[in-house]
Amino acid sequence: MPLLEVDSVVAGYGAGPPILTGISVDVDAERSYCIIGPNGAGKSTLLKVVCGILRPRAGEVRLNGSRVSGMRPDQLLAQGICFVPQDQSLFAEMTVRENLTMGAFLVKERAVVNERMARVFEMFPVLQERSGQLAGRLSGGEQRMVALGRALMMDPTLLMIDEPSLGLAPMVADQIFTTIRGFRALGITVILVEQNCQRGLEATDWGIVLDLGAKRFEGPAAGILDDPRIRELYLGSMCRRDVE
Amino acid sequence: MTDFLQTVVLGTLLGGVYALMGSGLTLLFGVMRIVNLAHAIFMIVAAYIAFYAFELFHIDPLVSVLITMPAMFLLGLAVYLPLFPRIEATPRYVEMTVLVTFALTLIVEGVLGFLFTNLVRGAKPGYTTDALLAGGIYIPVGQLLALGMSVLLLVGLWLFLKYTRIGTAIRATMQNRTSAQIVGVNIRRISAISFGLGMALAGASGSLMSYLFVFYPGQHWRWVALLLALIVLGGLGSLKGAVIGAISLSIISSFVTRWLGPDWSSLTFYLALFIILMVRPQGLFGKTMRI
Amino acid sequence: MSDSQNPATVGTTAPEPSSGGRDAPTRGRTSRRVALAAVAAIVLLIPVMPIPSYNYALQLGTNALMWVAMASSWNILAGYTGYISLGHNVFFGIGGYSAGIALAYWGISPFISAPITGLIAMAVGLAIGLITWRAKGPAFIVATIAMLFVVGMLFDNWEFVGASAGMSLPLPPFPVDTAKVPFYYAMAVSAFGAVYLAYRIAHSRFGLGLRALSQDETKAEVAGLNTRLYKLIAMSLSAFFIAVTGAIWAYSLSYLRPTIFFNIGIATQMLVATIIGGRGTVAGPVVGALLVVAVNEFSLVQFGGTQLNIVVNGVILLAVLVFFPRGVVGSLREARKLPQFLNWD
Repeated sequence: MPLLEVDSVVAGYGAGPPILTGISVDVDAERSYCIIGPNGAGKSTLLKVVCGILRPRAGEVRLNGSRVSGMRPDQLLAQGICFVPQDQSLFAEMTVRENLTMGAFLVKERAVVNERMARVFEMFPVLQERSGQLAGRLSGGEQRMVALGRALMMDPTLLMIDEPSLGLAPMVADQIFTTIRGFRALGITVILVEQNCQRGLEATDWGIVLDLGAKRFEGPAAGILDDPRIRELYLGSMCRRDVE
Repeated sequence: MTDFLQTVVLGTLLGGVYALMGSGLTLLFGVMRIVNLAHAIFMIVAAYIAFYAFELFHIDPLVSVLITMPAMFLLGLAVYLPLFPRIEATPRYVEMTVLVTFALTLIVEGVLGFLFTNLVRGAKPGYTTDALLAGGIYIPVGQLLALGMSVLLLVGLWLFLKYTRIGTAIRATMQNRTSAQIVGVNIRRISAISFGLGMALAGASGSLMSYLFVFYPGQHWRWVALLLALIVLGGLGSLKGAVIGAISLSIISSFVTRWLGPDWSSLTFYLALFIILMVRPQGLFGKTMRI
Repeated sequence: MSDSQNPATVGTTAPEPSSGGRDAPTRGRTSRRVALAAVAAIVLLIPVMPIPSYNYALQLGTNALMWVAMASSWNILAGYTGYISLGHNVFFGIGGYSAGIALAYWGISPFISAPITGLIAMAVGLAIGLITWRAKGPAFIVATIAMLFVVGMLFDNWEFVGASAGMSLPLPPFPVDTAKVPFYYAMAVSAFGAVYLAYRIAHSRFGLGLRALSQDETKAEVAGLNTRLYKLIAMSLSAFFIAVTGAIWAYSLSYLRPTIFFNIGIATQMLVATIIGGRGTVAGPVVGALLVVAVNEFSLVQFGGTQLNIVVNGVILLAVLVFFPRGVVGSLREARKLPQFLNWD
């Protein structure tokens, strides 16, 4: 049974037009995924629906077979669904440590929180150095690490990351992707949305192509960019290039 | 020199109260993007409660804070829950909150006017006429006590926000609503609690208002204008800004009163507002707004 | 709260498809013109018809026309651009006082000076617009309230016009029996003028720009619209007929006093009328003004004093905001049930 099933979901913002137009996607626990597609395809919107920030207008989302669509983000978090938004996702006026602690907001036992924080510092030593600094003052890459660290604090089963390398220099992006690959080893199912397809696909197992609010096709990440259908549909121009 | 200090002292005494009044407004905007035009009329509701508590039961206005705060908290929930979650999805949400709270203002003002008429009221506990003399400076006791109460409540608010779970959740929501959602804050609950809390602060302000100033329902516009000017100056959504804005404007206004007379004191707030809007529209401590 | 990562483009409402085929639009337009002309004729003929309670009816009519003018003007700024002004009657006061001064000191009839006061108000509107140039949303609203209070305070302390006690004006030279008639017609002129101005703006490129601005200001700016200039012009234009109305009102009262003209209750009424009727539409403020005047008369009769009247206004406004946020005209239009004769957009 797939970990997550998105079943014919239709969703949009406010009273506006539907961005997702009846999308169906299955996510297996053992794989990591990268969702690619042109601007406006609905990639971020899909993540927001799964994590509960956006309510679907039609269709269902199921986690391990049971319906979760319509639940609140905090309820979904309790079930292990975590989301790292694009850009500006930190509490700017809190310290790094406070931001991380916020990740474990739902956890009552201090010991558990401390244990998780220790693991995060192990994975991101630079965060330990900067633990007392205000998150708003860190560099782009460091902020991204805080965001990922905070996600780890939530002890996710399914971790969705929206554009992890956005605005980062190639070397820093490399680090971020290496980290993300590491999450796999921790047993976390990762779903990335990446405009920088090359790198996103290199860091994951399976690629899903979205366009006009629905899934066009999917396949192993490694070969998907060479698929003739991509060339045909997008003239190979849908991916953001690395900043040279 | 004494004259100068006297003016500063008088300004500071009132500044604390303005800060308390402004903090409630700021909380509502910071957490929920609600511009509460009804804040002042609700303060006046609390002032009436405090006034009658004093007249009928001889409860000191300062003590009445223990009544007005919980009462207004509950009233806040009663007002928030049926109305605001409904309008959350409206485009131009902030302006919608202005219109909705405006409608509330009319309703409450009308009801108050009907019940109590526009007769000017003011509670008069003993200390309204007392004053201390310290180093040649005259310190009205009533205002000193009000400052004390304001400081107490503001410090309490600060401690609450910094050290309690709910307080932390509120702070997180004020800083980044989406992120608060994804770390598991129940935004619905936090919003309702924040609204109640903002109203409770209005309640405490009302208790103080009942003896510090004379009040009547029609006066609320004057207060709203003043308080809104204050928090726009400090930066919408910034508690720090509200407090600093309140105290500095109050001191400046105290000087204006000294030189030009009491009629012009509110002018200070408005002129400061216009200047800030031209020079730095997001206020002293605000971030540039996304409407 | 809308999570606005909305990639939807800035849309403007498409022109209403008319029911029926090719001929229908023309027929619809003609019958609409006839209906409107009939209404206009009735309005103009009322004073010469033998109605019971003549003076009362005339006064009511004058009030209604006054609020039509005020609400329509307020709508030019608040409805078309979305910038809500809670201090708009500052222009009402400027109109009233300018005309009053001209009358008292130079004997000029406000019927003549009214358009000039309109121009003065437009200039003041420009000044206010410049001060609030960079203010958006709530900051703007607060600024307008502050503006009203400041100007009110200035007039409260201006000895030349009697400060807070005010001053009386020379009485109008009309025979007692028909004293109300000239004011009725003057207000009618103001009302027709204001509605016509709103109509022309709505159907102009300027109006299109205003609508784009109100939907998404950032996108409009990015698309090349000089949003600040547009807002400034809208503010200025909206001032004209409010001042004209103020001038006429001052004349009819024969008295000037700051609390009459600068009291926020007047801005309140403009807002309530426009929102209830349907902001952003041309017919909305008209419908809203008539409703508000009717409701107020009813409350006055039922409840006597004005306090519960305010409550009724508030309750209706709240109900409209929650259930019919587009107001009477807007909601009808959305439901495609708007009678053609009210479809002036």
